Amino acid sequence: MKGVSVIGVGMIPFGKYPDTNIADLGWPAVKAAIKDANIDPKRIDAVYSGTARGGAMVGQRIMGRVGLAGLPIINVENACSSSSGALAQGVIAIASGAYDVVLVIGVEKLTKFGGGTLPLDEDDWEVRLGLSMPALYAMRAQRYMHDYGVSADKIAGVSVKNRANGALNPDAQMQKEVTVAEVLASRMIADPFTLLQCCPTGDGAAAIILASDKVARQFRSDPIGVRASHLTSGKFMAGFRDMTSPEITVRGAKETFEEAGLGPEDIDVAEVHDAFSIAELLYYEAFGFCPRGEGAALLESGATKIGGRIPINPSGGLLAKGHPVGATGAAQVVEIVRQLRGEAGPRQVEGARIGLSHATGGGISGFDHGACSIHIFQR
Amino acid sequence: MTVDVKEKPALLCGDAVDVDANGHAHLIGGLCVDCGNRTFPRAPVCCVCMSEKIAPAPMPRAGTLYAFSTVHVAAKKWHKPMCVGYVDLPNGARVFTHLQGDIAIGDNVEVAIGTVGEDENGPIATFVFRRSAP
Repeated sequence: MKGVSVIGVGMIPFGKYPDTNIADLGWPAVKAAIKDANIDPKRIDAVYSGTARGGAMVGQRIMGRVGLAGLPIINVENACSSSSGALAQGVIAIASGAYDVVLVIGVEKLTKFGGGTLPLDEDDWEVRLGLSMPALYAMRAQRYMHDYGVSADKIAGVSVKNRANGALNPDAQMQKEVTVAEVLASRMIADPFTLLQCCPTGDGAAAIILASDKVARQFRSDPIGVRASHLTSGKFMAGFRDMTSPEITVRGAKETFEEAGLGPEDIDVAEVHDAFSIAELLYYEAFGFCPRGEGAALLESGATKIGGRIPINPSGGLLAKGHPVGATGAAQVVEIVRQLRGEAGPRQVEGARIGLSHATGGGISGFDHGACSIHIFQR
Repeated sequence: MTVDVKEKPALLCGDAVDVDANGHAHLIGGLCVDCGNRTFPRAPVCCVCMSEKIAPAPMPRAGTLYAFSTVHVAAKKWHKPMCVGYVDLPNGARVFTHLQGDIAIGDNVEVAIGTVGEDENGPIATFVFRRSAP
């Protein structure tokens, strides 16, 4: 999009860091991205930092640690799309001509809440009455199973694939492969989801350095172009909505493909928002990687494995890499950039040239989701 | 278990439900006096025309279960497993609700008052939906 490239990425392995504060989760990812970009950090013009539950001034706290404050720092909260939303703002800022180099950060520390489901805002009507993220996605799964005659073990296959990918990713929180039987035998959380069909609670940080095409090659010979950068909010619908077809992602995907002048058939690799097993199947369909109702069949065909027609979540996705909410969007971009550069090691998607990242979330009454940000990159 | 409605306990859902002289629960939504839009729950402003003239309006008592899940992990205050779902009412509103008794997607369900948990103030009561009597 309008001459913006990614020149550096970095992240810390996702996991549980209960004794590390959020600033100290964040700066190693920033330092890694700076090193990866081969850039003098004084060239950074502005910082967009995303966190959902990290509190105030997180960007300043991180940048202060490494002595890089005193420049514009913008903190972004947009639930699971916090750092992908920060990325979208960074892209706009460079495309506008305001800046040449922008640092994007995503960071989250969920272990501070202890275990259990992600705490939501009780000010929200449905949350006050008992809605949780597992319950919301579980209702989608139940309706999907009802409408398309798909059995629970087929949905559980998403966890098997993504845990296998995570076992190949040293940055993934979950490093062990699992079988369908193990997934189904794990503790019931919200029917049909067992524990292994829910993304784990964890902490993490990821960083991205964007540059205008005018300066990008001063730092790296292989900038990864931003072909499309999209951010939208859900539509408020007090009445009927089809829970098997996420309105916000269907619309976001269509608009993102239009912006890029591409279609689903052009995507070589994608990181999509698999917060729960069913989500990945719904997003296969929302992006047009397969027709409505055929997500489980696409998974079962092996097309979405590494080496398949359209590998999805080679990093392990949220289910295996982990989902420190505000860090997720940036970490997806770390994976896509590594894939497009051919740096993904044993989980490399051969010949990947065009990649897509998708982070969506925010459980609030009347919305399919609160926010959704989609990006397409090209080497 | 059914709450004795004569005691008029404080409900989790506030004034979003009313109980008539026959002991029947009624959800109370909002009707925009200016554009006719109906919502549940009632909000102070219309999401269609931004009017602030929103009248309380009783909702249909019965609807169709769109989706549900039996939830085993949730905050301590809820009775578990707890069953929650979305009910579509014939006036177009969709209601997130606790569900009680045997149910399946597509069932006709009817509103009642029920206890769904317990906290430091005692039982937590709110509207619930149950399968309609055949």
